Amino acid sequence: MSRENNIAVYTGRKVIGFWKGIKNFVDFIISIIHSFQSFKYLRFRSIYDIIINQTRFTGIHALPFVVFIALLIGGTVIIQSMTQFPKFGIEGFIGNLLVIIIVREIGPLATAMIVISRSGSAITAEIATQKQNRELLSLETMGIDTKLYIVFPRIIASIISIFSLMIIFDSVAFFGGYLISQLTVYIPVDVFIRTLLDAFSIEDFIATILKSLIYGILIPLLCCYYGFMPGSRFEIPIYVSRAVIRTLSIIFVINALLSALFYL
Amino acid sequence: MDDIILTLKDVSLESEDFESLHNISFSLRKGDNIVFFGPENSGLDIIFPGILRFVDNFEGDILYKGESIREFDYIEIMNYRKDVGYLHTDHGLIANMSVEQNISLPLQYHSKMSSREIKEFVNSLISDLNLDYCKKFRPVDLTSSEILRTSYCRAIALDPDILLVEHAFERQSPLNIMSFYNSLKKRILSPHKSVLFITFEPEKFVGLADNYIMLFNGRVVFMGNSYDFLHSENEYLVQYKNMSVQGPMAIL
Repeated sequence: MSRENNIAVYTGRKVIGFWKGIKNFVDFIISIIHSFQSFKYLRFRSIYDIIINQTRFTGIHALPFVVFIALLIGGTVIIQSMTQFPKFGIEGFIGNLLVIIIVREIGPLATAMIVISRSGSAITAEIATQKQNRELLSLETMGIDTKLYIVFPRIIASIISIFSLMIIFDSVAFFGGYLISQLTVYIPVDVFIRTLLDAFSIEDFIATILKSLIYGILIPLLCCYYGFMPGSRFEIPIYVSRAVIRTLSIIFVINALLSALFYL
Repeated sequence: MDDIILTLKDVSLESEDFESLHNISFSLRKGDNIVFFGPENSGLDIIFPGILRFVDNFEGDILYKGESIREFDYIEIMNYRKDVGYLHTDHGLIANMSVEQNISLPLQYHSKMSSREIKEFVNSLISDLNLDYCKKFRPVDLTSSEILRTSYCRAIALDPDILLVEHAFERQSPLNIMSFYNSLKKRILSPHKSVLFITFEPEKFVGLADNYIMLFNGRVVFMGNSYDFLHSENEYLVQYKNMSVQGPMAIL
């Protein structure tokens, strides 16, 4: 077979694989929408513990790491802007830069990345293991809607956790970063707060809510999708890795699209 | 006729791992108990998934209380599965839940009982099955008989009319499953409850089961009551009981 044919076959396979992947994911979403038929039979008490545990793991347990990353990023951005902006005579725009970089982009992205790498991978591994241990089969034999019972509480928990983590990330990045930056540069606190408040707009707040909502739905949805995929135990690590990489890629694309939608 | 709760009419199906059933027919009356047995790959592993419609592509018909399960919609199929208890080989206890939580799960999800009533009811099941000492344990800390007893409690928590039991007595110490055996016996003797068993050791059910069905290569090769099981000269049955390689079944 010629080199051109090889390339054509390789490309064709990739395109078909990509198309099949999208189709399977759409089918998965349709099956979840379908499962909402049984929503009225769902008793909240049966998913309460799952929501609490998932929120604790995704939100509360991730807090130290989120605070640590937010402090470093906030401090770096503030130090860089305080040392570089005066050279160009634009130090009055520090608040705008902080809002643009931290609230609009880094805050949501860093939070999503932390949630995907900690909780997303855990969700995929947990569901895949449950499937292999026939726990999902037992749920189905008890007349429990697995899609609703497994996916729905994780979506609720992720929305709550991601929204809270984003707000905490932004707050810590601003105020913790401000404190760290005081080691190298001096900015009066009232000036800092005023420039921040001036730079904030209602769009930023809506974008934060929208991003937390979209990420909160997409991250558990994608990770659950990959959790249901493995056909055997040895495939579990393959799908966990796939879940993390693909969810990250999709979140980056969505983030770019949302930023374009809001700020272009 | 009214007391027939489950009927299989010429059911043929094939699972993903190529185990198959061919033209299986039988009826289950309220209070009846049937034992399915046969060698490996004879179709035993897919008969219960078939009854619960986990295999969608099947020929023939399966009727539950006179209604074809093929016609059941999304909600009806879940309600049907809820009505049929299934104690399967792998047990499938939820790993991050305790014994108590595992047994409560179907009740928490389906029943209208209050949380307090559920707790009391679950505690009575736990007590009947001698699981009090380990009710806070997770499956990883349980022995095989404790896992079996917990799965059994969970399978009967909603008091199903039909209970499907797969290979329950195999690889178990009889001493440790006495409470399970006694509870199961009560259910078997009840005129309102039916139990279907899958086993490689049908002789253990003599005196308990009403009917015996032997499968080979997905087909019924013997069907009869306890007397027939003990005295029939059916060559498949004889070969099975004698554990012989000589006979109509080619055993690999």
